[in-house]
Amino acid sequence: MTNDNFKYRFKFTKGEEIKFIGHLDFMVAFQRAIKRADIPIAYSNGFNPHQLLNFASPLSLGYTSIGDYGDLQLQNWLSADEIKTRLNENMPIGVKILEVAELSKNAKKVMTSLCAASYEVKFEEAVTPKIIEENIDKFMLQDEIIVLKKTKRNLKDTDIKPDILEIENASDKAGKIKAKVNAGSVKNLKPESVAEAFMKYVGLEFNKNKNRYTRLDMYMSDQNGGLVGLIDGVEKI
Amino acid sequence: MYKAIPDEILLDSEKPARYIGNEINVVKKDSEKVDIRFAFCFPDVYEVGMSHLGLQILYYFLNRREDTYCERCFAPWIDMEEKMRQNNIPLFALESQQPIKNFDFVGFTLQYELCYTNVINMLDLAGIPIYRKDRTEDDPIIICGGSCAYNPEPIADFVDMFYLGEGEVLYDKILDIYKQYKKEGRSKQEFLERMLDFDGLYMPQFYDVTYKENGQIDAITPNNPKARKVITKVIVKDLDKVFYPEKQLVPLIEVVHDRVTVELFRGCIRGCRFCQAGFVYRPVREKRFETLLKQAESLVKSSGHDEISLISLATSDYTCFHELASGLLDEFKNKEISISLPSLRVDSFSLDLMQKIQEVRKSSLTFAAEAGTQRLRDVINKNITEDDILNGCKLAFEGGWLKVKMYFMLGLPTETDEDLIGIAQLCDKIVEKFFEIPKEDRPRPITVNASASCFVPKPFTPFQWDAQDTYEDFSRKGQLVKNNIKRKQVRFTYHNTMMSSLEGVMARGDRRISAAIYRAWQLGCKYDGWTDLFDYSKWQKAFNDTGIDMSFYANRLRSYDEVLPWDHISVGVSKKFLIEEREKAMRAEVTPNCRQKCSNCGAKRFGGGVCFDER
Repeated sequence: MTNDNFKYRFKFTKGEEIKFIGHLDFMVAFQRAIKRADIPIAYSNGFNPHQLLNFASPLSLGYTSIGDYGDLQLQNWLSADEIKTRLNENMPIGVKILEVAELSKNAKKVMTSLCAASYEVKFEEAVTPKIIEENIDKFMLQDEIIVLKKTKRNLKDTDIKPDILEIENASDKAGKIKAKVNAGSVKNLKPESVAEAFMKYVGLEFNKNKNRYTRLDMYMSDQNGGLVGLIDGVEKI
Repeated sequence: MYKAIPDEILLDSEKPARYIGNEINVVKKDSEKVDIRFAFCFPDVYEVGMSHLGLQILYYFLNRREDTYCERCFAPWIDMEEKMRQNNIPLFALESQQPIKNFDFVGFTLQYELCYTNVINMLDLAGIPIYRKDRTEDDPIIICGGSCAYNPEPIADFVDMFYLGEGEVLYDKILDIYKQYKKEGRSKQEFLERMLDFDGLYMPQFYDVTYKENGQIDAITPNNPKARKVITKVIVKDLDKVFYPEKQLVPLIEVVHDRVTVELFRGCIRGCRFCQAGFVYRPVREKRFETLLKQAESLVKSSGHDEISLISLATSDYTCFHELASGLLDEFKNKEISISLPSLRVDSFSLDLMQKIQEVRKSSLTFAAEAGTQRLRDVINKNITEDDILNGCKLAFEGGWLKVKMYFMLGLPTETDEDLIGIAQLCDKIVEKFFEIPKEDRPRPITVNASASCFVPKPFTPFQWDAQDTYEDFSRKGQLVKNNIKRKQVRFTYHNTMMSSLEGVMARGDRRISAAIYRAWQLGCKYDGWTDLFDYSKWQKAFNDTGIDMSFYANRLRSYDEVLPWDHISVGVSKKFLIEEREKAMRAEVTPNCRQKCSNCGAKRFGGGVCFDER
């Protein structure tokens, strides 16, 4: 039955207004928006049917995003534009659908396609643009970048350097960096870890609530082994 | 977006979404462009307050006025309160994130007595003086409504104005006059005096209370020529014509009740003698089922909820229940929407209906038996027999239900140990009913969850004169029931006995106990309805410190001629009727419900509802 469904991928933002809504609550809010928008969403079979709606990756509480993605499946066809309009009329304040694309039947799922994401970190005041400028290259020239990472059972020193794909100084008046990191089910690095490692490197104490994080975009691999956006790279109709 | 609380603090709190607003269907107005700002305060945590129907109704009712901006405000949870105090962040309204101290009205809904310390705490957090006498023209008008407002005396010293009755009736008039007075630069005092023109509004400052030597009230006397001797509640006559919101606020985090709420009727025909709601909301006024279907449809559409709850004091008493149920079934059958029917009388019809509308989710069945013997059920006029319960359970077991919930009360007037043992026996009999079913038809075991609350005599009920048990009595009785249950399938729990004791003091308290409430708040009491935060020893100290005897209010039998603290308030039901009812209770005599026969309770004076139905 699922094969008869029409598949779509959407790109959306999560702004200041909604950044304190955690992932599970956000999914419920999104499901309700789909219902209000009267979009003919397809449901799973089984004892407790649920909407066929998936997100690429949860966004941590407190993060904003200008490039998040999800997939949905419809029972009846609607144009991508129609879906976008209807969803935008019903989204919670702070959420905007930027783009909707209809996918080919054999497009890979958004969660499995995801392999990298880029973030902007806006540091607390102590991390000045000057500090970033003077240290960012040296930081990346280290042989390894060790942070204490929480695993399921305990805390463990982990080298995060292999998971940092790109990093650059993005400061304006405030100290900011942009980082592209591995993301998804295989390898996943949180930008908090990058921020923590950098602050440790420059001798400042890291407080998990003081920096601001924004997800900029999410990527899949293209045929040449490069990275491409989750809509740009997917097989469409 | 402006936030009253900095991100850093929000990120460090338990559930930051409680303090943000921005829910679906939220009303946003330019606070500079309205004449009246109204803070609707619910003195409990966000998730509780957002599940309250009255808030949903009044929010949109007040906001339908262009000149008024009604915003919401909840009690911050303990963790956030601490941080707000540390950082000098005054209590604010969710929508604008602005301090409520600068609003015109700060309104509290009082849904249970144990919220009073939260009311005080919220005023204090807002930077508003707690006692009325300490407030100035710059402070908002503090107005309180809700079921506890019918005995307003325990918090009369803190409040400017009590609204007795249903909000839809008077708020437009109140706000029109307020706006005019504000424009003319008149004082708050002038405004409050003007409010004396309306029935349904109680301004405590215009009444003096004197006491006898024995501690009882001598008299409650108006001290203003315009103040009426008795203030009568105001209610909506025709619920089909009154405003009901087409949408409701849909929270972005999980709250206690995540669902669309359709209100079938107000009031209750039953007249259970312990039940305050059964008297203060009289008479029963129903909505037509066409109205309800329309409201359900638009609420579902605008909310995206997947559950509709049909609420009222006794859902199955709704006259067009068949029509409504089948209408809802037709409308929502294939839309992944479930319908919940609280307080349903269990018979074959309702079970069949529940089969149809809750196909997969077989929740538990609930019976409010309230007492363990027929005699005591007759005393409280609880119109349900043992046969009703046992037959209902049998039908339910045959239909595949495996969980039964039973509600009881400990400490009802005239109760003996026999009645308490009856609770245990009734639960055991339910289990035995299950074993009457052939073995092959009961693949899985059942559970009977029985819980008992501790009886609290409430104003405006036939038991308003009666003595409440002490918490020691309640504990003994709870244990007695527990020890007499034989079947392992029965789980029995009873309510926090000390909490019920305190509730007993508050429910029938007079103006003097406000000192103890204030003192308890000073000692750190808040969220008293939350078992893990409730601290009875602090309350005992508060009453000791203020020289007030708790048992005078809770555990004393009053005579019919004693002046009660709420004697200047009328809910339409006469004292004469309540006395008759109490006398009948003592004789274990039942009273027919309002549809069977009018018992002349006095509620007919409101000119509507069941009182005028043909019988």
